[in-house]
Amino acid sequence: MIPLVDAPPAPAVSAALTDTEIRVSSGFRGARIVLYGAVFDPKDRPSDIVVIVRGPDQPIRIARKTQVAGLWLNSRPVVFEGAPGFYRVASTRKLQDIAGFAPLRHLGAGLEHLTIAAPLERRVETRYGVRDVVVSRLGADYLDWRRAVLRLKEKAGLYAADPGGVRFVDKGLFRAQLDLPAEAPIGRYSARIVLFQDGKPVSIRDRELIVEKAGVERALYVFSKDRPWTYGVLSVIVALGAGWVASVAFRRS
Amino acid sequence: MHFYLPIAEVSVNALLLVVLGGLVGFISGLFGIGGGFLMTPVLVFMGIPPVVAVASEANHVAASSVSSVIAYSRKRVVDFRMGGVLATGGAIGSFIGVEVFRWLRLIGQADMAVSVSYLLFLGVIGGLMLMESVGAILRRRKGQPPKPRRERRPMLLYALPFKVRFPRSRLYISVIPPVLLGVFVGILSAVMGVGGGFILVPAMIYLLRMPAPVVVGTSLFQIVITTSLTSVLQAGRNQTVDIVLATLLLIGGVIGAQLGARASGRFRAEELRALLALLVLAVGLRMGADLFIHPDEAFVLMTGTAR
Repeated sequence: MIPLVDAPPAPAVSAALTDTEIRVSSGFRGARIVLYGAVFDPKDRPSDIVVIVRGPDQPIRIARKTQVAGLWLNSRPVVFEGAPGFYRVASTRKLQDIAGFAPLRHLGAGLEHLTIAAPLERRVETRYGVRDVVVSRLGADYLDWRRAVLRLKEKAGLYAADPGGVRFVDKGLFRAQLDLPAEAPIGRYSARIVLFQDGKPVSIRDRELIVEKAGVERALYVFSKDRPWTYGVLSVIVALGAGWVASVAFRRS
Repeated sequence: MHFYLPIAEVSVNALLLVVLGGLVGFISGLFGIGGGFLMTPVLVFMGIPPVVAVASEANHVAASSVSSVIAYSRKRVVDFRMGGVLATGGAIGSFIGVEVFRWLRLIGQADMAVSVSYLLFLGVIGGLMLMESVGAILRRRKGQPPKPRRERRPMLLYALPFKVRFPRSRLYISVIPPVLLGVFVGILSAVMGVGGGFILVPAMIYLLRMPAPVVVGTSLFQIVITTSLTSVLQAGRNQTVDIVLATLLLIGGVIGAQLGARASGRFRAEELRALLALLVLAVGLRMGADLFIHPDEAFVLMTGTAR
């Protein structure tokens, strides 16, 4: 018989978002996502928490400025696929202190491990008799392009890493805090909470978050998508009407 | 006070937009231009996606222009027939221009096309207008009589068929040159995201040789028609008109335009033209400067997805 009581229970993580729905209305200037969670580990081994929040995927088009005949012009744009429109990773410590390269890469934790690629710039061909070699048209510059995407997104406040964003507030109880800027895209967000022990991910929880337009903002947005021509005519009537009202008002004064 | 714009999907300071709309409206009423060439770069600088800025700006221009057209038509200085002919060409031109712009965006050269056309057209037109108007001001200061207005118009205006009478402008010319002018301005406005008044005004003065008082009102009238059309087209095809953004801009815009149209009577025509020339030149050089200055950041994110 297997002695059930003697088997050490596996450490586990549990977490919940304080808000699972963020409503964007006219006063929206960004939001704060707060997440509470607990680590269940009878042995109380040292634990680290990493929280990865990804927004809806948005392909990125990026061009490089090159000098042609003294003028700075854009190169042909390169499209990166699979890039999230929003990306935040919060952790209890610096990611490289929590785990090694492989687990971080596997989880896509950290800006340098984010999986984005420019598939159109790649082709598979046979070189030196070796089949299926992946060749990038961007060549050795590929990393420059990738870094540029991350740098520009970070500058726009859409990508960030916060190595102090998760804190243990009590024994086994942690709190994570992530700021969502007003520019963050609308859509379905995923939050992945990972418990690391001894450099290995031992437990994972996934939570979902929805950012959606509300109130008048939503009504106008839906109207502009569902009946675009009516919306256009209406916007012109508003414009012409306002112009007429102003001219009448000023004539009287 | 901040407002979240439903289509642009950014949060902006509402008061700032109303004030900006008012300033541009004032300039619009004063000079008889739409003001798009000023407003579009400012909106993009504020972080509004260029496609939304261009489309919503057309709506704002329509509002402030209609406000000043009414003011001008009371003074009976709008040639509705000429405006209609120009707008017909403008409508054809904007259809072509929208396609050209789509293609430019696809190959990633839209930014370059916008910079080059701002530099080229605003630079050349601003420069020419400045020279002409400063010359006129200097002659008046020295007490010399104004340069005699060359009454001879280009022969082409008369040689071509389809002649039409334009009583307000005291012209009897072929409709082909104004239609072509309208087409050209229409293409340019779609690419640059402007109403095209800064090209129409000098073209009507120097090419069609219309009487100066009629030019401003007529230009505004054609701007109302083309920008209204552009608004509907942009909303219908691209869904890029942000009605909240446009409304914030036009609240200030219509009031500014009224004040501008009133103020225009207090300036001499050549002084007004010199001021406009300086403004046009400054915007053109600023927009074109990016082509020559070594960029701090070698990469640019392109807005809008590949279609």
